[in-house]
Amino acid sequence: MELLDFARGPALQFGLYAFVIGTVWRLLGILLLAAKPDHSAPRKRGGILAALKVISSRSVTAREFRQDTLYASVLGYVLHIGLFVIVFLFVPHILFFKGLIGLEWPGLPNNVIYFVGVITAGVGVALLLRRMTHPVLKLISNFDDYFSWVVTMAPIITGLIIPIRFGIRYETLLAIHILSIAVLLTWLPFGKLAHAFLVFFSRGTTGMVLERRGAKT
Amino acid sequence: MSTSKIGYDDAYDLQAKRLSVKKPEIRYDKQGDMTDDERVEKAMLHFVKDFGSTAATYLDACIHCGACAEACHYYKVSGDPKYTPIWKLEPFKQAYKREASPFALFYRALGLKKKVTVEQLEEWQHLLYDSCTVCGRCSLICPMGIDIAAMISLARHGMFKAGLVPHELHAVAERAEVDGSPLGVTPTVFEDRLEWMEDEHEVDINIDQEQADVLVVMSSIEIQKYPQSMAATAKILNAAGASWTFRTDGFEATNFGMLSGNAEWQRDMSMRVIDAAIKVGAKKLVLPECGHAYMALRWMGGNMYGKPLPFEVQHISEYMAELLNSGKINVNKVKQSVTYHDPCQVSRRGGATQASRDVLKHLGVELREMKPGGDYNWCCGGGGGVVTIHRADELRYKVFKLKMEQIEETGAEELLTSCANCRQTFDDGQNHFQWKYSMESLLEVVADNLVEDEQ
Amino acid sequence: MKDERTLGEVLLAKGVSRRGFMKYCSATASLLALPPAMVPRIASALESARRPSVIWLSFQECTGCTESLTRSSSPTLEGLIFDSISLDYHHTLQAASGDAAEAARHAAMEENRGEYLVLVDGSIPLGNPGYSTIAGISNVDMLKETVADAAAVISVGSCAAFGGIPGANPNPTGAVAVNELVKDMPVVNLPGCPPIPTVITAVLAQFLTFGQLPDLDHYGRPRAFFGQTIHDRCYRRPFYEQGRFAETFDDEGARLGWCLYKLGCRGPITYNACATVKWNQGTSFPIESGHPCLGCSEPGFWDEGGFYQPISTARIGGGTALGTAVAAGAAIGAAAAAMSRRRQAKTIKEG
Repeated sequence: MELLDFARGPALQFGLYAFVIGTVWRLLGILLLAAKPDHSAPRKRGGILAALKVISSRSVTAREFRQDTLYASVLGYVLHIGLFVIVFLFVPHILFFKGLIGLEWPGLPNNVIYFVGVITAGVGVALLLRRMTHPVLKLISNFDDYFSWVVTMAPIITGLIIPIRFGIRYETLLAIHILSIAVLLTWLPFGKLAHAFLVFFSRGTTGMVLERRGAKT
Repeated sequence: MSTSKIGYDDAYDLQAKRLSVKKPEIRYDKQGDMTDDERVEKAMLHFVKDFGSTAATYLDACIHCGACAEACHYYKVSGDPKYTPIWKLEPFKQAYKREASPFALFYRALGLKKKVTVEQLEEWQHLLYDSCTVCGRCSLICPMGIDIAAMISLARHGMFKAGLVPHELHAVAERAEVDGSPLGVTPTVFEDRLEWMEDEHEVDINIDQEQADVLVVMSSIEIQKYPQSMAATAKILNAAGASWTFRTDGFEATNFGMLSGNAEWQRDMSMRVIDAAIKVGAKKLVLPECGHAYMALRWMGGNMYGKPLPFEVQHISEYMAELLNSGKINVNKVKQSVTYHDPCQVSRRGGATQASRDVLKHLGVELREMKPGGDYNWCCGGGGGVVTIHRADELRYKVFKLKMEQIEETGAEELLTSCANCRQTFDDGQNHFQWKYSMESLLEVVADNLVEDEQ
Repeated sequence: MKDERTLGEVLLAKGVSRRGFMKYCSATASLLALPPAMVPRIASALESARRPSVIWLSFQECTGCTESLTRSSSPTLEGLIFDSISLDYHHTLQAASGDAAEAARHAAMEENRGEYLVLVDGSIPLGNPGYSTIAGISNVDMLKETVADAAAVISVGSCAAFGGIPGANPNPTGAVAVNELVKDMPVVNLPGCPPIPTVITAVLAQFLTFGQLPDLDHYGRPRAFFGQTIHDRCYRRPFYEQGRFAETFDDEGARLGWCLYKLGCRGPITYNACATVKWNQGTSFPIESGHPCLGCSEPGFWDEGGFYQPISTARIGGGTALGTAVAAGAAIGAAAAAMSRRRQAKTIKEG
């Protein structure tokens, strides 16, 4: 139980603090840099609505690019939807969030979650293989990409092992799972996983700049 | 910058003899007598200058998914991963992380991001200039919404200050800054050629009027190679009954300051036109068939001026669409099938895609769109200053083949565009491949089919 | 005072049938995870075993453990086995008191040197020896003196095994578990608040039969009883997997007997035999009665946050700390941006 106490207490607390501090740090470190006003006469309305438009529209690959990016897109969708399902629709996780923010929502049966978890882990492996073999990805990948992969996959794998157990005690596995989440939370704002929140800003910026021109977004 | 003067005067003239370069990937050009360290320092200083919140948002957001490669014609035709658009920004990104990112202090203190080296910058000259037309397809595929093309333009600023620009592009830009035109069009030359066109086409051309509602500018390519464009423009403006003029003190629409990465020259070149427009009290500035001029003046002009421009800026296709839609001019129907090549900076990047479609509708042609077309159109391969770079020819022809294929697939009879730079790239490609298609100008087609008896 | 009768003779005298006795032996074998072939051996060993001398020490405790063992509503074989041991000292149950009681303890120790068992319930206060004394002897002194010549020590209940409620934060008496004081002798922990009586007698039976203590886990608990979680053997487990949970104690789910995870059940992290052995002669166990497992056989169960807080929730501080984190992040982020901007301004000036 000691390890679980550590994981569920100080480790998780550290992770959450690092997550909050890192997120605010990174966002302000970017957004408080100099911003140049755009004096061009707008063709269309820019602003927050344009930002929201691209934030949502860029979730779908344009038809013109779909064929070329099909494999990676499908894997990407499955990974993200899978992550969403296992993170937010597994009842113990919902209870975790309820404990943090006081909100609760309905979950899915565990067996569904396990199934989705296995698929998600499989897709994760496929994405890693792609990264390690595709010439473009091989060239542009760095430590962040591989470390972020490990940090993302660790909670999925440790979470999937809990029901299987492999003769290891439940609370030990739970503790390892929570520790892996503490690591994930700690790393998230500092590496590329920060795209979880940066995506809104990069897409939003493009929305505001290009939509204002009436250009393709 | 002394070396750039030697023998590159004709760099922008595709009919002149081209420097033949067998192994383009190992060649890079240097201007000035700076030491390597000075070059790096200059590049860094000017990279850092551009790291505002917008650039930071973009440079921090990349997830290394590699999707942008699929949008880039250079990657498509070569399969070489170095042409992945975001990779072209690697030194710029590296500099950002080290110099201005939220964790810059740690990157520097712990040595996590190394200093950009002169070798890197030299190597990237090929990637930032020879193999990027700033066409912006990658900006549309990026799932993070990163405007990669805009970042390429920023990265060129540092490259220019470090004296690491392809010689020909540098020479063209310098010539444009000094002479007022990348092709040596002085005010006298401009006036001469206008007068020649006036005679040749029997059209009244307004030159240096004191006051006018519309200031019209031209690109040197048109003035020197497609002078009939000037006559066509005049014809249309006359037909519309507009109060308009050309000005010899502000006629050059192209902006090689922008393309080469010299921000000061970019401002100088834009300000010549802006000042001229203000001087004549123009309500409207009509830009010629030139893609990057639209970006430079329509979308960046106000920023050069420092406040909103006191006049409207339109591409000639927008102006024609406006005149046609409002019935101020009329055209005869053209019974032909055409395909239209969208200039990247006007359509995809500039947002004026619909204007040319409106014009084509009035012309009554059967428009056969390319696939992908419109905003997703493949670039001709000559934009962003690439067409000036001789050593990039081999690669440029490769990407042009992609363009040829998609045009042939449409089976259209005629090929139209509204950008003189695209047009000369097509002409060069046509010549190189002995291709059946000739690129025609939308402006000229409209002028040729004007219904004139209304006046 | 030494009773020379064997256990078999005592049971026979109390009217236990041979059949009933064999049934008990089989049950014990099964509890201890022994093969059925061992049943006759258990039976013969138990029959011929001399009644062991047991000294029961009660320290900082609530007598719940003793109650659990002795207050069955009807006589049980466990109870009878327990009755049949020679309980030579148990200050709650014995008639003697004061010097007489202590004399009985010393006599038992003397007569059964190296053979007697010491059962302890309750934790031992180290904060001040005066916090808990018996006949003027502090708990720690009495424990040390008594275990000196014992064969083994069995810590009965979570207080003796892990410190228990007296050891709960902030542990005002400095309470410790038996095995923190007794290091040179086997100590079997039988935690639970209270522990399952069957488990106590089964361990005694094994000791009598084989003269050895059971295989223990890392908390000193017999693996036979503490090898699986409540969750693993819970009859409500299928509801957990299906995602059917009682949200409150009186909703539809609670009435339909759905999983109590959301109500804070500690079943998944609690190792005990409640779900299989059950309580009150196999009648039921807490979850069966509609209440989540409290995890009472686990160390520190009293300090694990609210009993009704689900186990997957974080045990961390609240909003003010998070507000501080936001402020800290904002300060660092703003400083980073300011630094970059200063560099830019410098560049523009120089450039």
